[in-house]
Amino acid sequence: MNTISVADELVVAGRRTVPPSHARNVLTVAHRELREAVRSRWFILYTVAFAVLGLGVSFVSTAVAGGTGLSGFGRTTAGLINMVLLVVPLMGLTAGAGSVASDRERGMLQYLLAQPVTPGEVLFGKFLGLAVSLLACLCLGLGTCALVLSWQGQPTRPGSILWLAGLSFGLAMAMLSVGMLISVLARKASVAVGTAVFVWLVLVFVTDLGLMAGVVSLRMRIEDLFLLSLANPVQVFKMWSLHAAGTTLDVLGPAGLYAMDQYGPRLHAIFAACMAGWVAVPMVIASVTFSRRPLI
Amino acid sequence: MRRSMCAILLLACSAGGRPQPDEHPVVSPASVHPLGAKEAALPTGEIGRRIAAAADGEVVEIGPGVYHERIQVTRPLTLVGRGRPVIDGGGSGDIIEITAPGVTIKGFAVRNTGIDLEQENAAIRVLAGNAVIEDNVLEDVLFGIDLRESPGSVVKGNRIGGKLLDIARRGDGLRLWRCDHALVDSNIVHDGRDTLLWYSTDITVRGNSASRCRYGLHLMFSDDVKIEENVLSENSVGVYLMYSTGVELTRNQLLNNRGPSGYGIGLKETDQFSATDNLLVGNRVGVYIDGSPFSDKKPGEFTHNTIALNDIGLTFLPSARGNELTENNFIDNIDQVSVAGRGDLSGNRFWKGDRGNYWSDYTGYDQNGDGVGDFVYESQTLFDNLMDKEPKLRLFLFSPAQQAIEFVGRALPAVRPEAKFTDEVPLMRPVPARYVTADNRGGSGFLAAAGCVLTALGGGIVLAVTWPSRSRRTASGGEVSGLTLVFGGVR
Repeated sequence: MNTISVADELVVAGRRTVPPSHARNVLTVAHRELREAVRSRWFILYTVAFAVLGLGVSFVSTAVAGGTGLSGFGRTTAGLINMVLLVVPLMGLTAGAGSVASDRERGMLQYLLAQPVTPGEVLFGKFLGLAVSLLACLCLGLGTCALVLSWQGQPTRPGSILWLAGLSFGLAMAMLSVGMLISVLARKASVAVGTAVFVWLVLVFVTDLGLMAGVVSLRMRIEDLFLLSLANPVQVFKMWSLHAAGTTLDVLGPAGLYAMDQYGPRLHAIFAACMAGWVAVPMVIASVTFSRRPLI
Repeated sequence: MRRSMCAILLLACSAGGRPQPDEHPVVSPASVHPLGAKEAALPTGEIGRRIAAAADGEVVEIGPGVYHERIQVTRPLTLVGRGRPVIDGGGSGDIIEITAPGVTIKGFAVRNTGIDLEQENAAIRVLAGNAVIEDNVLEDVLFGIDLRESPGSVVKGNRIGGKLLDIARRGDGLRLWRCDHALVDSNIVHDGRDTLLWYSTDITVRGNSASRCRYGLHLMFSDDVKIEENVLSENSVGVYLMYSTGVELTRNQLLNNRGPSGYGIGLKETDQFSATDNLLVGNRVGVYIDGSPFSDKKPGEFTHNTIALNDIGLTFLPSARGNELTENNFIDNIDQVSVAGRGDLSGNRFWKGDRGNYWSDYTGYDQNGDGVGDFVYESQTLFDNLMDKEPKLRLFLFSPAQQAIEFVGRALPAVRPEAKFTDEVPLMRPVPARYVTADNRGGSGFLAAAGCVLTALGGGIVLAVTWPSRSRRTASGGEVSGLTLVFGGVR
């Protein structure tokens, strides 16, 4: 689907008896974005990479514990969570970072914005379309893993794979939102993608390593450690998925125990709020900036 | 509560070093009191009249029904319930009190004691020896079966359900206090505080199960104890052995004991013990070893145990030495063996002769095919080491940062930690386990269904987007309905 046809669709939408609404514009842009994404190389690459990594994790973990018939919080769940932590933020960030900046660079954005549509609608449409494409990617990857695991008779807590899929999608949305903010601010697509990779490095490695250093050298208190780790969406995803998979958080040592003692049943709400914040705040900033200066 | 209790125990026991068995500081349970005035207000019921009318040694059979009374057995009698008569305590005080030796209580349902922790309201209290408490169902009780100084007693086939109170307000499901030569067999205890076996010598605990309690089994100053084929799950601690000598743990299953303590088996200054053929799965810590064994008469023996899927397989306090571990399976524990704080494990042996243990994370191979790996197993991952020193770092488990650290530890010998211990002859295959059954939650079917749903959802999105693209440009309504289809699927 090319630029012309999107413009056509918008014009067609505008000519209809029903006056063009925000929702319709957003959906039109989203649909176009989704179609483009699903056909793009990165989507296929990420889907295949995610599925293959997941399968690798599944095979290795069942090979190790195989035959004992023991279940528990084993290597499978840990491996899958680990893989999601590594891959999904990268997917979300780069998908978001490429969206606006590359359209702008190719001159498509100017064309699009000449149609009866506001910058905010374009931005949210793009977000929606990419989010659905990421959902498809995650579902295909984790679904294949689940099928392989069940075929191998790996005992896993029922529901944990569904939780994992849902929470991965939440993480992907948060990262997509950050990626779109980067994309809106960056002048060039290459800068945007580079920044996205840097942010990925920071969120996945640097903050954790920094916090570890803080724990060891500054004798950080447990409550501070827990609160600080809530600031990192990747950590929030990890703690949430452990919590949701039916594992008690004491697997995470004193900080996990503190979280359970202190917040107990409210943990789901706290994690959800943090994740929602990471989805909403960057998107709001991005849309404000984008509405003011869509073309830089 | 737990912490303060431990502190009290520590205080009691640290004063003047470890007391010898014959000078145990006997802190008596709440003073034994005759049934109080308020409790006696219930009139003597039918069971009481039957007891009063019976001769010594007679068998008194009680028919089915609900009896609202308190029972005192002051003479040697056998009290048998036919059709499981219910004795209801009405929510206050004790229910059955035995003060004569050689009494048998069998086949009753006893329920609804008081909740007074100070008075230790119990369903069945035994204050004399040679009692047999068999096949009773105790429900909604603060203390279940409380034996004080009743040597030679048998507690068998009872089911004891505690009150669903906060753990600090619960009582002990089963307690043996100075009951030498006792047998505790095939009881089921759930939702209580502890099962205590204190100051008792030569006791056998076989085939019991305890779940959702604080301590599944708690031994203090109890010597010559056999603990066999018990299933202790979802407690704070499975078995806690303290200051006891001569304990054999055989074919027990310790599953999912979690929480701040969360030990499958805890050993505190216990001597001459052995653990054989036990299954420890999903506990926070499989085995916790603190100062055991404390003498060098006999090494602490761990043989043929399967320690799998715990957060930490084995934790040693730095003082622990003299343990020998051979032919155990260490499978997929996040941290296979840890030393709490600083220190090493040089006083303990992880192999004997040509038999070591099976380690699921062993990466060596076995070229000559003798079943023993050609390289030593060394536990030396950098992150494990860091976690041992600073437990707060467990928060970063499963994160990519953890793997980054481990990678650095492998790549740079300069930062590689000292090996905590080595197993010179690691086994290539797990030792066949002899426990009865493994807990398999199954769920494969569900998993398959979840996989199908996820794949269908993902594939559906892709298909819905790519399929009708030809008709899209001509039929202007198509795209909206197409989108609704897609998003309808998402919602």
